[in-house]
Amino acid sequence: MKLSLLFLLAGFLVVLLQTTFLHLLPLGPIVPDLILVLCVYWGLNHPTVGAVLGSFLLGYSVDVFSSPVLGLNAFAMSLVFLAVYLSSRCIWIHNPLLSAAVVFLASWIKGAALIMVGTLFLAVDGLWMGVLKYIFLEALIAAMLAPAVFSLLRRGQSYLEEVRMPL
Amino acid sequence: MQRDPIGPLLLGLMRPLQIGAQATVAKLKEIQHRYGTFRGLASENERLRGRITELEAERNRLLEVEATSLRLRDLLELRSQLPAGSVTAAVIGNSASTWFHSFVLDKGSADGVLKGMAVVSLVGVVGQVVAVTSRSAKVLLMTDPHSGVDVIVQRSRARGIVSGSLDSAPILKYAKRSEDIQEGDRLITSGLDGIFPKGLLVGTITKVRKKTFGLFQYVEVALAVDPSRIEEVLVVSPEIIQPKK
Repeated sequence: MKLSLLFLLAGFLVVLLQTTFLHLLPLGPIVPDLILVLCVYWGLNHPTVGAVLGSFLLGYSVDVFSSPVLGLNAFAMSLVFLAVYLSSRCIWIHNPLLSAAVVFLASWIKGAALIMVGTLFLAVDGLWMGVLKYIFLEALIAAMLAPAVFSLLRRGQSYLEEVRMPL
Repeated sequence: MQRDPIGPLLLGLMRPLQIGAQATVAKLKEIQHRYGTFRGLASENERLRGRITELEAERNRLLEVEATSLRLRDLLELRSQLPAGSVTAAVIGNSASTWFHSFVLDKGSADGVLKGMAVVSLVGVVGQVVAVTSRSAKVLLMTDPHSGVDVIVQRSRARGIVSGSLDSAPILKYAKRSEDIQEGDRLITSGLDGIFPKGLLVGTITKVRKKTFGLFQYVEVALAVDPSRIEEVLVVSPEIIQPKK
C-alpha cells in the first residue's frame, strides 16, 4: 500500500515537473521525459496490474496536458511498459548503465508508436521526417536521467521496506 | 609649595611622563572609541546590507509587479479594442511532451472560455483552445504540427495556412507557386477560419523556395509570438469575428 502511494506520489511529481520546472532547462524544445523513465522503472521492477494502469494513466496525463488527441501517449506508454516488461523477463537488468540503455530504447519505442499512430490516424504532414532528431535527443536525455531517477525510487522503496520490516 | 621642594620636583619630573602617558591613554581611548565605532559600523553595515538586500528584493518585486501590470494594461487595451466576450488568462502549465506544443491556462468554462476559442497576445496569434475544464483550458500552440491558421500575406494578399512543424520552423502551407511571396513579408490572420479575428499578426516569412515541380511553394515562417515567453494571454470569443446576423 505504501509502495503504491510512493509511486502515486512519484507519478504526480514527474507530471508536475514535466509541465513546469523542466521547461526552465536550456534544452530548447526538448522536455526531459521523466514519465517514460518512471514507466520503464515500473516495467523492470514492478510488473504488476497497478503498474500497467499507472503507465496508462501517466501517458493519459501527458495527453491531457499536451496532446490534441487523447489516448496517443496513453497507448505509447502502455506499449513501452509492455516492451520493457517482456525484455525484463529475458534479460537481467539491474545495472544503472543497462537501465539507461533500456530507457534509451524505450524512448525510441515510444517515438515509433507516436509516429505510427500519428501517421495512420492523424494524417499530420511529414510528422516522421523531422522527429528522428527529437527522438534521439529525448532518448539521450531520458537515458542520462534514468540512473538518478532509478536510484531515488530504489531508495524510497528500500526505505519503505525497512519501515515495514518490524511489523 | 615653597615648604615642599620634593613635590614640585616630582611634579616636574612626572610632567613629561604624564603628558606622554596621557597621550598614550588618549590614543588608546581613541583606538578604543574607534574600535567601538568600527564595531558599531560593522553591525550597522551588516544591518544596512540586509536592508539593501530587502530593498533590492522589494525593488525586484515592484519591477515585476510593474511589468505585469503593464502587460495586463496592454492586454486590457487590446481587449477594449475587441468586442465583449474575451477573457484574460494566465499560463499555469506547459506541455508535458516534446512532441506536442501546448500550454494550460488558469481560466476555464466557468470564466467563459470555450473550446475552439482563439488565443492571442499583444504581439499576435498564440493558438487555439482545444480542451476546457471548469477552471482551466488547454491551448494548442501555433508551433504544434496539428495546428493551422488561415493567413494572408499583408503585402500581396496571397493566402495560405500556417502550421507548426517538428522538423523545421512553422510553414505556410498551400501557398500557390504563382503567388507573390517574398522573404520579410508579414503574415496576418485572414479571419476566414472563423476562429481568429482578422488582421492579427502571425509572423514574418523567413524562407521561400520554389521547386521545379509541384503546385505549391515552400515557405517558412518566423512566428511573431514566442510561446515559451508568454505569461498572459487573451482568449477571444468566436462571436467577435462572426457578428450576429
